[in-house]
Amino acid sequence: MISTVLNTEIGAAGGSSALRKHKSISIGFCLLAGLLILGALLVPGFVSPQNARSILLLAAFLGLASVGQTLCALVGALDLSIPYIIGGANILLPSLMVAGLPAPVAMIVVLVLGTLVGACNGALSFRLQGQALIMSLGLGFAAVGAVQIYTSLGSQFGGTVFAPVPGWLRNLSAFNGKFFGLPFPPVIVIWAVIAVALGWIMHNTWFGRSLYAVGGSRTAAARLGISEFKVWTVIHSVSGAMSALTGMLLLGFSGGGFVGVGDPYLFTTVAAVVIGGTSLLGGAGGYGATVLGVLVLTVLTSLLVGLGLSFPAQQAVVGLLIVPMVAIYARSPHIRNQI
Amino acid sequence: MSATAFRQVTQDRSLYVPAGLFLVLLCAVAFRGQGLFTNNGLAGAILVATPLILTALAITPIVMAGRGAVDLSVGPLMGFVNVTLITWLVGNGITHPVAIIAWAVGLGAAFQLVQALVIIYVRVAPIIVTLSGFLVLSGVNLMVMSRPGGVAPDWMLSWGAGTSVFSPVLLLLLGAFAIWGVLRGTMFYRNLRMTGADERMAYTSGVQVDVVRIIAHMVGGVFAGLAALSYTALISSGDPTQGSTYTLQAVTALVLGGASLSGGRGGALGSTLGAINMFLISYLLSTFNFGTVSGFVTQMAFGLILVGSLLVNVFVISRRTVA
Repeated sequence: MISTVLNTEIGAAGGSSALRKHKSISIGFCLLAGLLILGALLVPGFVSPQNARSILLLAAFLGLASVGQTLCALVGALDLSIPYIIGGANILLPSLMVAGLPAPVAMIVVLVLGTLVGACNGALSFRLQGQALIMSLGLGFAAVGAVQIYTSLGSQFGGTVFAPVPGWLRNLSAFNGKFFGLPFPPVIVIWAVIAVALGWIMHNTWFGRSLYAVGGSRTAAARLGISEFKVWTVIHSVSGAMSALTGMLLLGFSGGGFVGVGDPYLFTTVAAVVIGGTSLLGGAGGYGATVLGVLVLTVLTSLLVGLGLSFPAQQAVVGLLIVPMVAIYARSPHIRNQI
Repeated sequence: MSATAFRQVTQDRSLYVPAGLFLVLLCAVAFRGQGLFTNNGLAGAILVATPLILTALAITPIVMAGRGAVDLSVGPLMGFVNVTLITWLVGNGITHPVAIIAWAVGLGAAFQLVQALVIIYVRVAPIIVTLSGFLVLSGVNLMVMSRPGGVAPDWMLSWGAGTSVFSPVLLLLLGAFAIWGVLRGTMFYRNLRMTGADERMAYTSGVQVDVVRIIAHMVGGVFAGLAALSYTALISSGDPTQGSTYTLQAVTALVLGGASLSGGRGGALGSTLGAINMFLISYLLSTFNFGTVSGFVTQMAFGLILVGSLLVNVFVISRRTVA
């Protein structure tokens, strides 16, 4: 009985959100194609293997950092701890390696710590709901502060850690990295694998569907026997783990630990989610949409760089474009139609 | 005035936590270092804390209007007023106090009016609009002024001296409180709380929710302009880079003060207490000597206090709903 209700429920929800997602995804593709054509016309050398490689590399970092933000947005939360966990992981990994831990063990330790911070975040912020983003901010501050205290004890360089980065980690995410002899860094493949896996999980598993159920209607989800608390905690843990992973991969990209490396990801992850078409109120969207959002954002940035715009001007243009982009497919109905 | 404040604290349970934390911090500060309770110490404290208090006040009406409208753009807006004041006005020889103050307040209100109109007529979620405002203004600030620099008008230099408690900066703060005090007595304030608590119900009850939202944003803009003036006095120059710091701190102060980011609950007293508590925390930690790691200890302690106070807040407020 319950399972019949459940199936029809999921079927109905899937149908309507698929329709809406379809629209946002086709618009996203049009945007992306338009930007690429514009780039090919305006910027010499825009369509080249080098540029494609650098766009995909930067998109991979943003994409990995946006996994957690997407999942959180699907249940109506925002995770502001992402930049701090990225920065923390970025300096904790080299200092653990300096302390004598073998690189793989150190990476696992960092990943586990990132997951733990995320889990704490989820468990503590569950009761707060609307205020959850401040809880994530607070935990982010606490985590990065603790990591910095640990790394700067016995060192005079606060916030920056120098350590030899192993060659394979460098190859993983450096611009001239090789994937089994092919001329692109493996981090792009890692991102693609995670994106496909996540897409499958979201659409074919009990957990993935319950994520949409909680985002769509909490009351209905609770009546279906879905543990809101579990969903909430698991997605925050995933967010923490993915942020830690991004921070470690960024170490291979830059070659030295720097705590501020995560700062640009505070609002760009939100922007990528929003441009992709995932509603920040929850229930609609998905990681596929975010991948599109990440690509649009990265190609746009690359185009603006090619046109000779400085970083502040790029930021202003991206900001100006967010509202019209979102307005295309995510306008809310007038209040008189909401009653 | 303190009598009304006291009555408000005893009546409103969401103010228990900020008020309690305030008293604890005050005792701790008194115990640790007496520097704060001298004339100079207090004057300096007012000077440093005022921009934060005013930015927290600036987002209070906007958050109270509901729909999850956290104004992320408030920090860069303050920075925008600051850098345009220094570059465009003072840079072109316009230093008359009336012109400067009118520019700051007018620019803040005008920007917030635009944001409110976009929220109402484009009908995109407020947080996306303010995120867009945040990105645009952060970029524009750096385009107007690429690095911190410039000088404040001559008459403002003495404001930042921090030698007297009754400085013009305190007047800015009192002015903002006075505006809020007047608003509290009006119909607008009731409509604002109603709109924030349940917009549909407010609409069906005949409240003009669009007008309420516009006024809430413009009041917030006026406060942001005042915050920019006090910030300019504090640093005596222009700084395009502090926007995101002030946004995060102001939102934090708001929540520490017991306001709900989902709307309907909050007020000037809570936001002020939250901002003062944040100042006291960093002041208190600066009295300890942590050597090279002191900045990190401050950050960590700050994060933990934020977490703790949110948890206590939940406990207090959830008991209220049960009762």
